[in-house]
Amino acid sequence: MKTLMRVGRFYLADWPEFVTLPWLIQGFVFALDLVVFAVPHVTSPASHGGMKYAGALATIYIVFSIVAGRSISKRLPLALALGVSRRSFYTGTALVAAALAAADGLVLTVLQPIEVATGGWGMHLHFFRVPFLLDGPWYLTWLTSFVGLALMFVYGMWCGLVYRRWNMFGVLTFAAIQMLALAAGLIIASRDNAWHGVGHFFTTLTIGGLTGALAVIAVAVLAGGYATIRRVTV
Amino acid sequence: MTPAISVAGLTRRYGGQIALDDVTFDVEPGSITGLLGRNGAGKTTLLRIIAGHEFASVGSVSIFGSPPVENDKVLGKMVFIREDQVYPCGGWAFRVRNALQAASWLYPNWDHDLAETLIRDFGLPRGKAVQKLSRGMRSALGIVIGLASRAELTLFDEPYAGLDPVARQLFYDRMLADYAEHPRTVLLSTHLIDEAAGLLERVVVIDRGRVVLNAAADDVRGTATRVSGPTIAVTDFTAGRTVWDRRKFASQESVVIAGQLGDAARARARALYLDLEPLTLQQVVVHATRMQEAGVRERTIA
Repeated sequence: MKTLMRVGRFYLADWPEFVTLPWLIQGFVFALDLVVFAVPHVTSPASHGGMKYAGALATIYIVFSIVAGRSISKRLPLALALGVSRRSFYTGTALVAAALAAADGLVLTVLQPIEVATGGWGMHLHFFRVPFLLDGPWYLTWLTSFVGLALMFVYGMWCGLVYRRWNMFGVLTFAAIQMLALAAGLIIASRDNAWHGVGHFFTTLTIGGLTGALAVIAVAVLAGGYATIRRVTV
Repeated sequence: MTPAISVAGLTRRYGGQIALDDVTFDVEPGSITGLLGRNGAGKTTLLRIIAGHEFASVGSVSIFGSPPVENDKVLGKMVFIREDQVYPCGGWAFRVRNALQAASWLYPNWDHDLAETLIRDFGLPRGKAVQKLSRGMRSALGIVIGLASRAELTLFDEPYAGLDPVARQLFYDRMLADYAEHPRTVLLSTHLIDEAAGLLERVVVIDRGRVVLNAAADDVRGTATRVSGPTIAVTDFTAGRTVWDRRKFASQESVVIAGQLGDAARARARALYLDLEPLTLQQVVVHATRMQEAGVRERTIA
């Protein structure tokens, strides 16, 4: 545990990379949306009934995964040079991911009542309230944000480690495998006339169920990352 | 006593290429050992395997009696300072300060005072992004981390690339002073053999992945002598001795002979008006490497 705490601290030596940077980018996109939606008659395709839906909250999730991928591949060599094992480094990184996702998920949750109280920032904007995904009770919003952010972070970690171990060719192969898996799923669903079942699955899916499914995927991704780091050389 | 480093039958292959070929040697705890050899001889690969950064194809490494791979207990006693160290860099600058903080958190014996002194001596800019440091300053950062971490086993791989002679001397002086106060095991790979010679207690020379010399530095120093003078006298004096190298200039000749010279031999050389010059560590290493490459069998000097 002591080693893990040390790794966590090592990770946060330059904490703005993880703490400030995602919010700077998300803040910029938010400000941009405020300006764009302030222009009369501007709506997005998802907007209806006078409500404006931005959808740009995805930014922080994407930034999370990019930051994770870059940092793990660039931090690993220094951590190993300073006498940390791959296992401790990876576990410590995962703990940092969990802490960041919990904290940033909480910030996203707190921003919702503020959005409500200000009347959607004075323009009926739904930025931090996303229909179905993030519009339930606060604890579900927090849990879903936490799981979503953590999933993006560990996915970024895995990609970063694939790059570290097999370079660009590895990353391309990794992406290709994911696309093939997706295509295989689509083909199977079409061939077996299973679209009805797929539709049923999604229409009856609760947000709690979705969050649970994402959590399972996050754990699987975490295991994939661990299998990758075990034989990484620097 | 358990060796600090014990390498046994270590081979590392990359595809068809052999980087390390059946390497075996021990390093006693509380010593400074030089790991010497030409570019591409396998020094960095060897250090990486010792540090657990790379994996052996065949053979084993143990550090204080245990294998280092994924062993936090052993790895925590080790610091590896390498010339080509990759430092974090992202959207936010990773600064010299951050690197030093990270190291100070990971090493329980971190010596703040020594770090401060070294930072001042090298003129290392704390606030600068590591990515933007000059080559010399990057080396200085590595040296500060390597010495101030006071790890039981300190591995240096060409730690002073790009550093000027004054800064290099500073490194030697500080290292010796700190080593005297806090003995530990140091394995230092370098090309600047004569410069570092005063520091080294033992030398391990590798060439093309094989150990060609593994001996106490003091034993190596007296191990060969250059004999120069008139060809006839040189030929007479060196008859029956192992000759490593022979050069002729007109009627003069200069020959390197192996082995210690006794008082009688020295007196005879004086009578023949011959110059005797003991080979420096660097010269011995060059000869040992050349002979290895010429296919001469491995030679071990006790």
